[in-house]
Amino acid sequence: MNTRVAKIDTGTFACASFITSAVIHLAVFLFLVWWGRLLPPQITIQETYFVDVVNLPTVNPRSGSSSLKPPEATAMISRDPMPAMVVPSPPGAASKVVAKTSRQEAAETESAFEERMARLERNSEARHEESVLEKLRSKMKAVSSQKTAKLAASGVEAGSNYANYIKSRLEDALKITSSYTTKNPEVSVILTISADGRLSRMKIERSSGDAAFELAVRRAIDLASEKFTAPPNQSIFENGFVFKPKGISNGTSR
Amino acid sequence: MAIILGAGIIVKLVLLLLLSFSVVSWAIILFKFFQVQRAKRDSERFMDFFWKSKRFDAIASQVDRFANSPLTVLFNEGYSELKKVVEPDSKSDGSALSTDLGGVENVSRALRRATNSEITRLEKYLTFLATTGSTSPFIGLFGTVWGIMTAFEGIGKTGSASLAVVAPGIAEALIATAIGLVAAIPAVMAYNHFQHKIRVLINEMDSFSTEFLNIVQRNIAGK
Repeated sequence: MNTRVAKIDTGTFACASFITSAVIHLAVFLFLVWWGRLLPPQITIQETYFVDVVNLPTVNPRSGSSSLKPPEATAMISRDPMPAMVVPSPPGAASKVVAKTSRQEAAETESAFEERMARLERNSEARHEESVLEKLRSKMKAVSSQKTAKLAASGVEAGSNYANYIKSRLEDALKITSSYTTKNPEVSVILTISADGRLSRMKIERSSGDAAFELAVRRAIDLASEKFTAPPNQSIFENGFVFKPKGISNGTSR
Repeated sequence: MAIILGAGIIVKLVLLLLLSFSVVSWAIILFKFFQVQRAKRDSERFMDFFWKSKRFDAIASQVDRFANSPLTVLFNEGYSELKKVVEPDSKSDGSALSTDLGGVENVSRALRRATNSEITRLEKYLTFLATTGSTSPFIGLFGTVWGIMTAFEGIGKTGSASLAVVAPGIAEALIATAIGLVAAIPAVMAYNHFQHKIRVLINEMDSFSTEFLNIVQRNIAGK
């Protein structure tokens, strides 16, 4: 009799503890879900874009525009036909138009007036643009003559631009691959890019001895070289770059 | 949640298996905890009662009060065997001596059998805890290895090995090991705890059997 009582007790007891256990597990699971332990922030895989901030509006780096443009100037230049139309106009043209306007003012309809007004504005805009461009060009000349004196075969401006373009590509790539074990690693590399835009030679000239950073630089160069465009004027481009974790500077060329 | 739903079918199965292991082992832990607790409490009370009372038949009438103690099972078995031995003995006095010795042996055997069955009852399901404790980390590890394999396949397909590609796969793979450990650790701890508690109960049962046999032998010899 005693054993029978114990057995019944055991069965119900086992059932009860199983249910309790399941309930506890459910509660813990819900608690974790609520707490967000099982919901880490969604990791979105983004395509890497190489945004060339320095030469943003330049479609073709060989065309030889100046670097370091303020946004308003670059926005204007991107509208291609207008500067082409306006830039050659001599400064006298605008004043002539103004004189004409004063003579025929009485006979004009309102729409014609507006049209003239728009043209006038455009002219002044063009002149303003011209002056901004001129200012920038001279500034760039000064900057580039300081920084990158004798870079490529095709003149200071275009050459410096191509070097900057390459440098910017390399910086983008280095941001992805960068890794180093010592404090201030430094690697200087001489890159030779053949006329068809292929990386034909890469020589590590000097290294601070950080193998990890050296590897990172190699990988950055490999990564960047997939997207190089050909240097200007069918020439062979050769330049030294000094790689540091914070960025790349143009080293001495040969 | 997304990390689990995003995992592959094998990893999901592994997680499900580990979850069921965990549920069952916790059920066993709760069940055993109360079983052992009650056995211990009732045994103490029964021993007090046993030493206070003078007669076996008085104890036998009250023994249901301590139903959870394994000692009461021992007592019942021993007492019923003793009754079987003593009753025919009282009829014929001639063969008293031979049956006396045989009677004590019988009671001893009955007690040993009852002890064994009680040990079996107490240790029932404990093997599952041991199994959970030793195998669920491996099952979890299997899930992790499988998950990382699929993650690497994904890397091979996309062709890029950036952290953004590698990290989610490895994270969802590691969940399996984590849950394996979560299932295993309490199981191992509980297994060791109950092993100790049951060993104490077995010692109590052994000493009770010796006491019981001593009393029986004293009474029969004193007759």
